[in-house]
Amino acid sequence: MELQSDVADTQQQMEQQHFHVLAVDDSPFERKLLERLLRECACKVTCVESGDKALEYLNQLDTYQSNSADSTASLSSSQSPQQEGLKINLIITDYSMPGMSGYDLLKTVKGSSSSWKDIPVVVISSENVPSRISMCLQEGAEEFLLKPLKLSDLKNLQPHLLKSLVHYNKDTKCSTDTGNNNNNDNVVKMNNNVISKRIAMSPEPSERRPKPKELAVV
Amino acid sequence: MDVMTQLQRQWREHTAYLRKEGYLDDQFEQLQKLQDENSPDFVAEVVSIFFDDSEKLLNNMAGALEQKVVDFKQVDAHVHQFKGSSASIGAMRVKNLCIEFRNHCEAQSLEECVRCLRKLRYEYSLLKNQLEYLFKLEQQIRAAVV
Repeated sequence: MELQSDVADTQQQMEQQHFHVLAVDDSPFERKLLERLLRECACKVTCVESGDKALEYLNQLDTYQSNSADSTASLSSSQSPQQEGLKINLIITDYSMPGMSGYDLLKTVKGSSSSWKDIPVVVISSENVPSRISMCLQEGAEEFLLKPLKLSDLKNLQPHLLKSLVHYNKDTKCSTDTGNNNNNDNVVKMNNNVISKRIAMSPEPSERRPKPKELAVV
Repeated sequence: MDVMTQLQRQWREHTAYLRKEGYLDDQFEQLQKLQDENSPDFVAEVVSIFFDDSEKLLNNMAGALEQKVVDFKQVDAHVHQFKGSSASIGAMRVKNLCIEFRNHCEAQSLEECVRCLRKLRYEYSLLKNQLEYLFKLEQQIRAAVV
């Protein structure tokens, strides 16, 4: 069954810890810090200095993937060995950047007609501006993290990384349908630095994961 | 062994001093936790980038304040970035000065901004000296192991 193999793949990828995160920040200092923090979470990190560069990189990945996907490509081609290390599992972007802001990048990614819109996006900022936060969450950001970042903030990203490994179709359909609701009700402060969208249908993140018991068995 | 113990004590005392005097806060400890066998020089590396960044930003602020017609939004943008990186490194006193500086930018008070920049440069140079001393101690400790 497809779902079972997805779960097995997920479990395997979790163990191999091949999450690939695209980190976007115009400050070289912040990029260094982000890279180190994410590596601590066993992520492969690609850092870019602007929203434009981020889009450029995503384009390059798409081109590579479409070139290397042969006629033998099946539904699980996105998780085949040569592409495993390349596929972006999460984008983490600073909010305030010259030129294209983190918000603009978020909008572009979420508004795209390609697989980009399914990539979880996390926005980070040094400023705690409620309207900015709800704007980003409403646009589809998974989390809004406040700087300075601590290791514990990034551990919270695990569920989103996991989600990205299972086929997007199954997950995103049920987790993004809250768009019409008043999202302010769903915004919950988890701790001082992390503000996250609570999904009305399944409040506990673990419930969103497919069959956790089977994961343990595998 | 004696030298090593002494150096390590000096390092501990100096770190405690920096915390007590408010040069550094908890965030610096977060950075120290990220230093391990795989990233043995992480703190020194990240601080080095911070120094480069900071000097650039301080010069940018000075340049912006020297313009015939001062663009306070531009000055504020530089201060904002400096505030961000100093907060991320745990440089508490520098960060607090940046907050004060931003208020002056908002008030568009040139005199206060210039005064604040002077204080900021001074505070930053103090911090730089303190951290360089700390890293020197670390180097000596490592050398003592060999």
